[in-house]
Amino acid sequence: MPDHWGFVFAAYGIAAVVLFGYWRRLIRLHAELSALKARREVKR
Amino acid sequence: MTRWLGWLAALGLLAGLAMGFGVAPKDAVQGNVQRIMYVHVPSILTAYLAFALVLIASLGYLFTRRTGWDRLAHSAGEIGVVFTGLTLVSGSIWGKPTWGTWWTWDARLTSTAILFLIYVGYLLLRGMVDDPERGARYAAVVGILGAVNIPIVHFSVLWWRTLHQPPTILSPERAPVSASIGLALLVNGVAFALLFLYLLSKRLALRRLEEEIRA
Repeated sequence: MPDHWGFVFAAYGIAAVVLFGYWRRLIRLHAELSALKARREVKR
Repeated sequence: MTRWLGWLAALGLLAGLAMGFGVAPKDAVQGNVQRIMYVHVPSILTAYLAFALVLIASLGYLFTRRTGWDRLAHSAGEIGVVFTGLTLVSGSIWGKPTWGTWWTWDARLTSTAILFLIYVGYLLLRGMVDDPERGARYAAVVGILGAVNIPIVHFSVLWWRTLHQPPTILSPERAPVSASIGLALLVNGVAFALLFLYLLSKRLALRRLEEEIRA
């Protein structure tokens, strides 16, 4: 059977993009909410 | 602690790549395309772990009504959806060269797609109910009922005639894989579990922050 490296790289590439993207999303949301919380505390 | 867990997960993933591409041999029948297994199998095992946590935390919430349980169920559910999605996509990519199709309504594939949709619904439900306490209660019920699908997904290949192969690692009999393939799978499984714990700690921290802002 041919090796189909293209399929292998596609699977690993998509896994990397999805997991890295989810991790970045968590970091970004945490930073945004931390900033929002800090702004609210200053207002009080 | 979280930072260390992150570095440990990153090292584990690198070790998993080295094992999957450098140590594990090429499959005698499928060739190198079989290496997709080192992403596909750890992904679904991590999803099982996540949804088992949703079940435990949902029961915990319904019995105690403590927010900590709901926070855990919500966070684990979201990460479980990510890993189930990854399982479906990597399985589809693996299926095309080996089965000749991206998708078929086989019992394993269909039950996994249903598992994915149940927990997407679980997350959507939380957003649809305005009262957080009521939303948590409804979500806990869905989280418990959804877990019924986990054994169906796992044993579907034994209960029905499927195109998907029967379980290899969590099989009732001894796994028919070579030691190096088994080791590569184990390293990747541990790496994915570490990544899950790291993402879980991040998601829990985010959810705590969301609660503080809402209060």
